[in-house]
Amino acid sequence: MNAIEASKLSKTYPGDIEAVKAIDLEVEVGEVFGLLGPNGAGKSTTVGMLTTTIAPTAGSARLAGFDVATEPIAARRVSSVVFQEAVVDRSLTGRRNLEIHASLWSVEAREAQARIDELSAVLGLTDLIDRAAGSYSGGERRRLEIARALVSHPRVLFLDEPTVGLDPRIRAELLEVIAGLRNRAEMTVLLTTHYLDEAERLCDRVAIIHAGRIVALDTPASLLAQLGRQLVELRIDGNAGGALASLRRHGIAGRDAFAVGSRLTVPLHDTSPGDAIAAIHQLGLTGAISAREPTLDDVYLQLTGDSLAAAA
Amino acid sequence: MSTAEIAVPAPLARARSVGALGTLARRRFQLTARTPRELFVPLLTPIMFALVIAPALKTALHTDASYESFVAVGTIGLLIPLNTMFLGLGVIVDRVSGAQRELLTAPIARGLLVLGNLLVAVAITALQVGVLIAVALARGIHFHATAGGVLWFAGAALLFTVGMYGLAEILANRVPRQEEYIARVPAIAILPWFLAGALFPITALPGFLTWVAKFLPLTHGLALMRYGLRGDGSGLHAIWGMSDPNAMAALSLAVVGGFALLLTVASIRVFSRSAVR
Repeated sequence: MNAIEASKLSKTYPGDIEAVKAIDLEVEVGEVFGLLGPNGAGKSTTVGMLTTTIAPTAGSARLAGFDVATEPIAARRVSSVVFQEAVVDRSLTGRRNLEIHASLWSVEAREAQARIDELSAVLGLTDLIDRAAGSYSGGERRRLEIARALVSHPRVLFLDEPTVGLDPRIRAELLEVIAGLRNRAEMTVLLTTHYLDEAERLCDRVAIIHAGRIVALDTPASLLAQLGRQLVELRIDGNAGGALASLRRHGIAGRDAFAVGSRLTVPLHDTSPGDAIAAIHQLGLTGAISAREPTLDDVYLQLTGDSLAAAA
Repeated sequence: MSTAEIAVPAPLARARSVGALGTLARRRFQLTARTPRELFVPLLTPIMFALVIAPALKTALHTDASYESFVAVGTIGLLIPLNTMFLGLGVIVDRVSGAQRELLTAPIARGLLVLGNLLVAVAITALQVGVLIAVALARGIHFHATAGGVLWFAGAALLFTVGMYGLAEILANRVPRQEEYIARVPAIAILPWFLAGALFPITALPGFLTWVAKFLPLTHGLALMRYGLRGDGSGLHAIWGMSDPNAMAALSLAVVGGFALLLTVASIRVFSRSAVR
């Protein structure tokens, strides 16, 4: 049985705003799965439907076998969420926030205290745990929220853009923490992010979601392999679309080459970067040319014709 | 794991619900206890009425001593709405900057969140009403309560508190910001108080307003509380016009009970709907 299953899951908000359009997902037990896309792509709405805080308008979804629409309490019992924004009782201590979660998820009191102490140590909260959560820094609070989500030993953990708004140092620390979650074999993690490096580093598989639809779903390595081992990037002085058509006519670019603004990206499958650059020069195209390995950003740009960073 | 493996027997599910309700009520109490304004501000105005305005009115208007106890009970009719409305602010704080979203993902019926808040509202209101009565007694105001009378009083105060807290929850879940919520408090908490016979019998109102007053749950609540604490059935008679005070008290209790039930059910429904988009 899969940890997460979604079939034709859809959400249309009032005003005919289609936030999620019939997505299908199957996430295996123990997998770290990334939902990648810019703000407004439908990631948080998808997580909202899976965590029963947003009602789907069509389709179905299951967490550990429990239908989120017809068995919402059972579905919530096997899952925990770390939200994008701070969602804590600020005037209560960190410990009390964790105790409340443990109690509501029916963790026996003594066991809860043991887990709180263990998680506090693992997440570097031991010195903070008896302070009011309102006094925590952004990174400390996010670690507290991760600890809270783990107190109930969830089968499915949702991390909704957990590093948004954090400074680079705290973000790096938090990524270490999240990477550590991979060791919990029985726990499935669904991570939403618009940071490509996070997805590449943390996820077994990623789904790229754009305008409410999943436009690609595979391992990061497989997605990257679609663009070959190298690509050439040109910043064109002039008409990028015309230049792309010219490259295709001369067999330098294939169907998977794409243009975004003044930037042309040409995946190389059978040609070396040196040969490709020489051929481009022979066509008389002017502008900056460079060769490099493809990234998930390129995959995203190819699939959506949009810049993830610009949209985020 | 199959669905059957995690199916929870009914007694265990009930025990979990009771445990969750206790957790939610304790959480709400801890949050409230860290916000002293929620505890003490609602108490200030009614105590001023009971200890300053009522004696002043007695002196200025040459009313008799029982008027002080009349007004003391009347001020409870202000204390309960003010207190419950202030406690409703906590719902907005929870939603905007608190842990409400986390609680919505908990494996519990969402109505328990409302009921947990309600339990604390009832407890804090009981404390405040107790303080008000204690202060009134210390000030030399006399009540004439029997054991049965105290039950009428407690029943009326409890049910009216439950109803008013339901109203506060509904409002808190319907308006987006604290400022908008506060702006509506006078119309809900104070306006009915002027019409419900808090400072004078409703028969002293212009004719059509007397009829309006008879439909206010607060009018029934105050009449019941006065019947309970002062042995004074005149308020009930002004509403029902019957000769049997216990029958009139039962009818008014039914009105306040209906108010409490209706608004509690409505508040759970409104919360559950607003919690899920």
